[in-house]
Amino acid sequence: MENFINLILDPLNALFFKFKVFMPNLLAMLVILTIGILLALIIKRILVKFLAAINFDSWSDRKGFTKLMRKGDLWSKPTAILGAIVFWMLIIITLMSGLNALQITAIDQLVNQFFSYIPRIFSAAMILIIGHLLSGFISRAVLITAANSGFHYAKLLAEAVHTLLIVLILAMIMEQLQIAPVIVLAAFSIIFGGIVIALAIAFGVGGIDAAKRIIEQEAISKREEVNDEIEPL
Amino acid sequence: MTDFYQTGIITTLHQLGKPSLERLESELYGFSKTRPIALVLPSLYSEFEGPAMPGIVQELAKVKYLNEIVLVLDKASEKEFQKVREFMSPISTEVKIVHNDGKRISEIYETFARNGFNVGERGKGRSVWLAYGYVLARGKSDVIALHDCDIVTYNRELLARLCYPVANPNLDYVFCKGYYSRISNKMNGRVTRLLVTPLIRSLLQLVGPHPFLAFLDSFRYPLAGEFCMTTDLARVNRIPWDWGLEVGSLAEVHRNYSPRRVCQVDIAANYDHKHQVLSAEDASKGLMKMTVDICKSIFRTLASEGVVFSDGLFKSLLVSYLRHAEDTIMKYEADAAINGLKFDRHEEAMAVEAFTRAIGMATQVFMENPLTTPLIPNWNRVTSAIPDIFEMLQLAVDSDNE
Repeated sequence: MENFINLILDPLNALFFKFKVFMPNLLAMLVILTIGILLALIIKRILVKFLAAINFDSWSDRKGFTKLMRKGDLWSKPTAILGAIVFWMLIIITLMSGLNALQITAIDQLVNQFFSYIPRIFSAAMILIIGHLLSGFISRAVLITAANSGFHYAKLLAEAVHTLLIVLILAMIMEQLQIAPVIVLAAFSIIFGGIVIALAIAFGVGGIDAAKRIIEQEAISKREEVNDEIEPL
Repeated sequence: MTDFYQTGIITTLHQLGKPSLERLESELYGFSKTRPIALVLPSLYSEFEGPAMPGIVQELAKVKYLNEIVLVLDKASEKEFQKVREFMSPISTEVKIVHNDGKRISEIYETFARNGFNVGERGKGRSVWLAYGYVLARGKSDVIALHDCDIVTYNRELLARLCYPVANPNLDYVFCKGYYSRISNKMNGRVTRLLVTPLIRSLLQLVGPHPFLAFLDSFRYPLAGEFCMTTDLARVNRIPWDWGLEVGSLAEVHRNYSPRRVCQVDIAANYDHKHQVLSAEDASKGLMKMTVDICKSIFRTLASEGVVFSDGLFKSLLVSYLRHAEDTIMKYEADAAINGLKFDRHEEAMAVEAFTRAIGMATQVFMENPLTTPLIPNWNRVTSAIPDIFEMLQLAVDSDNE
């Protein structure tokens, strides 16, 4: 009888023991979540006020970031959107830290993976910002140079350069974030390779006559040079 | 039918005989191939519930030469915006509705504000300016025509005659203003008849010959809300956002273009729209507000052209205006008598008294702050400060209309 009671009580005891060990972890998680959410709210508010003080919205309007947001159908102020991004990132970090406090092996692995992924997100964001600025600068330079050289399709050329650079940047970002890297690499190689081959064929076929003319002129001028050398004799 | 007398320094295009509307429209259709025409309609939702808008839509549905119609809708909820889209559907021309109270357009206004642009308060001036911006952003039209949405006597001939002088490449006009008579069983259009014309002539008497006053005096109906212009003009013109819109726009046209390239056209035998109350006791609304804004706009333009205003000049102006206005009443009384129209001389005299008070208020406001109401900056300045504004505006309107 005693054995039978032990059979029932032992699992219950073990469960109670596990619960006793788990309880502080749960409490720690709740405390981390509460503090994290409060901190996220405070940081968001300070960040939004700081960005407003340095006229970040106006800067975004001039530098083209607002336009990028609008293209993505985001119609809030850039400061509000940046504030929201930072807030939700802090909430995710808080959630991960909270889950880490539970000390469950499976969750620990997930948390580790998440934290090791954060640097990639940052570098992808940096690639996006610098790439956007650089592509705008380069396409503008192409537009000015082509227009000043009297090229009829200057705007088209500038837009093509801009699009190509955006494709390159997006590929770099996807590769950085490890989103289907093999497919991205293959797609990128095909697109870029295709463009280069297309250009090579276009210039090659279109330039046959021009190349022939240049070679012929070169040959004629060489022949004339030879004749010039003979004449004085 | 009118006479063929050419008034003042701009060209007047009269309605002589009975010109064929079919011929006009067919020629416009031809011109629109090289000079596409956009129609801008500033409207309030309440106008769709009134008698005017159904008639306008019915007439516009028959027009084939327009490239696009941009309707700026003010004071409308999301549901009302959808109703207006439905309402405009019989028109075969591409119609884009700028929803002024929508989330996206509100954010566009916010963008102007945070970049230091004062685009003024809600009203026709601001709506028209935004519509110009949208037409410029799309870059699909070379000519912009504009008329109000409260015209109860609307006829598509009005639009054809308004567009013709600017759309016709052989005529070389950059700006064309409509004119018409405003009669029912009596004479309407008190502000033009009893305020603007007598005021301009008083100023001419006091200041002497002045190019802007001569320009303004050349218009038969300077306050007409119907005009047509090239998109180049829409890009460089600054406009006031208050009731000084019509006069202020003319001042900018005078500043930027030769009067030789400006004309006025007879667009309707008769014209009737929503009438404003006089509001003689309250200068913050009705015709009194309109009067104060118009006077401020004229004073500011003249001051910017070097006319020196003093207390003495303003005192003489009030007396001179009163004399001119009284003489004008007598002229119109005779005009009404011969045409069998009702004419309430007492009511006209009361209006002149109210206008005199309003001019006094405007002079006071002007002396306190000569810059008074600022003009909305032109689109060239806006795009230089916010290079992507056209794209953002286009995205906002196109997303709203999806």
